[in-house]
Amino acid sequence: MIYLTLPLSVFCPLSSWRSMAMRQTPLTCSGHTRPVVDLAFSGITPFGYFLISACKDGKPMLRQGDTGDWIGTFLGHKGAVWGATLNTDATKAATAAADFTAKVWDAVSGDEVLSLAHKHIVKSVNFTQDSNCLLTAGNDKLLRIYDLSQPEAPSQEIAGHSAAIKKALWCNNDKQILSAADDKTIRLWDRSSMQEVKMLTFETSVSSMEYMADGELLVITYGKTIAFYNALSLELIKTVEAPAPINSASLHPEKDFFVAGGEDFKLYKFDYSTKEELESYKGHFGPVHCVRFSPDGELYASGSEDGTLRLWQTAVGKTYGLWKCVLPGKSLFVSVYTCLVRTFHFQPV
Amino acid sequence: MATPVSVLRLPKGPDPNSRGFDPNSPRFVALCRTSISTSAAEADAKELQREQRARSALRERFLRCLLTMTNKKVQFHMHEKVDVEATFGASDIDVLNFQVSDLHTPIGVQKEALIRCQDVISFTFDM
Repeated sequence: MIYLTLPLSVFCPLSSWRSMAMRQTPLTCSGHTRPVVDLAFSGITPFGYFLISACKDGKPMLRQGDTGDWIGTFLGHKGAVWGATLNTDATKAATAAADFTAKVWDAVSGDEVLSLAHKHIVKSVNFTQDSNCLLTAGNDKLLRIYDLSQPEAPSQEIAGHSAAIKKALWCNNDKQILSAADDKTIRLWDRSSMQEVKMLTFETSVSSMEYMADGELLVITYGKTIAFYNALSLELIKTVEAPAPINSASLHPEKDFFVAGGEDFKLYKFDYSTKEELESYKGHFGPVHCVRFSPDGELYASGSEDGTLRLWQTAVGKTYGLWKCVLPGKSLFVSVYTCLVRTFHFQPV
Repeated sequence: MATPVSVLRLPKGPDPNSRGFDPNSPRFVALCRTSISTSAAEADAKELQREQRARSALRERFLRCLLTMTNKKVQFHMHEKVDVEATFGASDIDVLNFQVSDLHTPIGVQKEALIRCQDVISFTFDM
């Protein structure tokens, strides 16, 4: 047997191997018939992680987080659903709707557990970490805290905002509340005293607010700006300008990237430290209303006016969920072997 | 030239016939507590058997009731003291909606309608 060793570069020039850049393939989750206005991920559970989407068709859906596979639809609301959330272990879901109710659901069976009547459209719902309390907010300008173990008891109400509240979130280990409203303010409230602690005023209405417990960070979007604040002191950390008006942004759990989407239908990926725009992706057929990173940071989901949710890879080309990577090494071996057999009439031993 | 990342398949979409939450999924089986308290895992097997027999009997009776009701005049007693009469057509698989014809309402007769089951307290009909 004659063994000929030839440099690998003869069979596959390294230059062409390197230039095999991968292009992002978003996964489209269909099913909604109207714009998707809000989405939220659960934490990582023994059964993976989950995603809930709020839609103007009134039918919020639960999906497997890493694949986008539909699990079920929560049926019961009689109007557009403006907000949706899951508790950490994805056993409970809560939704806020235009039918003046917030509902709590069993996220395993899909059954409605509680319907909480409000005096106007409800826009936002958020569980405490122990899932025992629910914070709601909406067009009646009040923040409401419900004790889920005593649902008949009246909710605690916090007044102060002078216009409809868009988003309300628990922060600082559920000891405080952050709220963003159409009165162009973001306010920090103390839960026990029910008093306003701090206020941020903006020139224009805030389009979205995301809170990251790890690092106590607040991600706010308004106009074409994505702003990062310290969630405890409400001190500004930095702002980044995007090419188009932004409706929602999300920071990667490791705080190295953030993604944003808005009125030009595109998703933008920025480097958090350098503020540099790294990538932009087309795909949606309408404005992007919400974007969120998965709890493991491997993908991000976007919801759009076009009625779809799309899942995007953080590391394009990596094998994860439904994305599979064809390793260049594998196909290289096959082509090398074929070349050797043909050229040198090698017969396998 | 960039090659698009390949995918195994597309995400599964909603099932047009059901609201999902598959009771056979591992998560459902592991986490779903049944509504009747004796169905806790610690209950003894005999109790569980009796309960299951009762559940099956009730379920079968309910399904037979739905079958018998077809094309009959049924009175629905609903929330807010609403009582309506209609000819029962069919139920959907999750018993979320009843398809009825000739629904007599205070504002007129609706030729075809869907009644939302969660609004119904009880219904009566002559066999």
